[in-house]
Amino acid sequence: MDRNRKILISILALLVLSSVIAIVDISLRIQKTQDTQFALAAPKFGPGIGLVRIEGPIEMSSGTSALGLKSGAEAIIQRLDDLEKNSSIKAVVIRINSPGGTVAASQEIYQKIWRLRKKNIPLVVSMADVAASGGYYVASACNHIMANYGTITGSIGVIAYSPNLKHLFEKLGIQMNVIKSGRFKDILSTHRDLAPEERVMIQEMIDSSYRKFLKDIALGRNINISDIEPIADGRVMNGETALKYKLIDGIGDFEDAVNKARELAGLSEDAPVYDDVTHPFQQLLMNMEGMFRGQTILKEGMDYNNLYKFEYRYLP
Amino acid sequence: MIIATLRSLRWADYFLFTIIDPRALYRQIKSNDPRAMALSFTVPVIVAVTELLSSSLLGRPTTFFFYKISYGWILHSMVLVFLIIITAALMDLVIQFMGMKGNVRELIIVINYAVFPKVFLLPLVYIFKVINFAPGFFYVLFSLGLFIWSAFITIQALSEMHAADFGKALLIFLFPIILMGIFIFFGSVLFFFSGMGLISSML
Repeated sequence: MDRNRKILISILALLVLSSVIAIVDISLRIQKTQDTQFALAAPKFGPGIGLVRIEGPIEMSSGTSALGLKSGAEAIIQRLDDLEKNSSIKAVVIRINSPGGTVAASQEIYQKIWRLRKKNIPLVVSMADVAASGGYYVASACNHIMANYGTITGSIGVIAYSPNLKHLFEKLGIQMNVIKSGRFKDILSTHRDLAPEERVMIQEMIDSSYRKFLKDIALGRNINISDIEPIADGRVMNGETALKYKLIDGIGDFEDAVNKARELAGLSEDAPVYDDVTHPFQQLLMNMEGMFRGQTILKEGMDYNNLYKFEYRYLP
Repeated sequence: MIIATLRSLRWADYFLFTIIDPRALYRQIKSNDPRAMALSFTVPVIVAVTELLSSSLLGRPTTFFFYKISYGWILHSMVLVFLIIITAALMDLVIQFMGMKGNVRELIIVINYAVFPKVFLLPLVYIFKVINFAPGFFYVLFSLGLFIWSAFITIQALSEMHAADFGKALLIFLFPIILMGIFIFFGSVLFFFSGMGLISSML
């Protein structure tokens, strides 16, 4: 019996040993993988670069989504504010992957960036897939803009749209009862044609926002409005063309933008980058969020939705 | 007292009988010498750690492993112990339905020891991982094999406990598994669809 017990103890000891070996083995493999990855998320200290991400349509609505992630222009402004107050942040890189969004939200982000720029904090933009319309408007407030060759940018202009379902309503025998306090209260209604004076009114607003767009770009890019006007007709362009028209300062990827920010801030080559999305779990949530949002955008596109807005947005 | 028991190596008999003679395991539990209850709970803890290590060996190496090995195993152990208690309670229910005398305490101890073979998953999987020969397949195969071994230990111990034949013991063993399987399946389906619905409506 005693011999059997000793054999069992040996088996248990071997199990413990195999557990220890497994832990060491897994740890070494993790270390090896981490070494070969470009990791922004590693713990870092000292003066560095703050990273801000502008993803998807720009809208004011701030808040916490179902998966616990903050979104909207207010969240972006909050992030910029946090970076401004952080003494370790010597430059900011703004990663933009957005087709633009509402006029007011884009303007608020622009203003916040502009205030940072006035405080001599170097700001560099890295454009991802799309940084068009409001996305470009926001970018123009920064000191330096970098885009990839294939980045879609431009689309300088303002758009407002509302479907006219009058004939569909007639076909279905639906009539709207509208009781209004003024003749323009139901402007851009979907159940009737747009009156000529309403069109003029909306066009004035569009033109006013457009002029503001041009003025701000000219201010941010330090060029004349007349230099941008010929291409500010809503056209989109890739990075190469944008460089030709001086809408951007250079062609480069995210890493190039980070290096440029280091250069402008006089930081060393290995100065850390402080990202707001650091934890793998947070990244997973962000990916899930993107997945669900993708479905929601599709759903909204199919649904009848008359929440019209004026947008600095590229709508292909 | 505890040190004397530890030095005598009599506690090892529980593990030894689990492997070689499940009926003797029950007799040892019945005699409660040395005390079986506290020691039995070390088994789900060891199993939780080895399961975490086995799955981490096969998965992509990420720093999340350090969270798992520092405190994730505590949660995993708690889940295992919870499942064992639920299983024991359900088995006890069937036993009493069959007109036999219930003893949930002994059942918990039996099931705790019965999961002991699962600790062999780690070295077995490790071998196939080192030689890089279908480790994923062998992980599933060995998991299944060790589950059957655990089931066999439980059934044998149940048979000894209630002087029941193999068929009755098998029925007692299967009941909670089937019931929990049905519950988990429908629960997951409900959770998945209501969760998706909730998220879609909030976005």
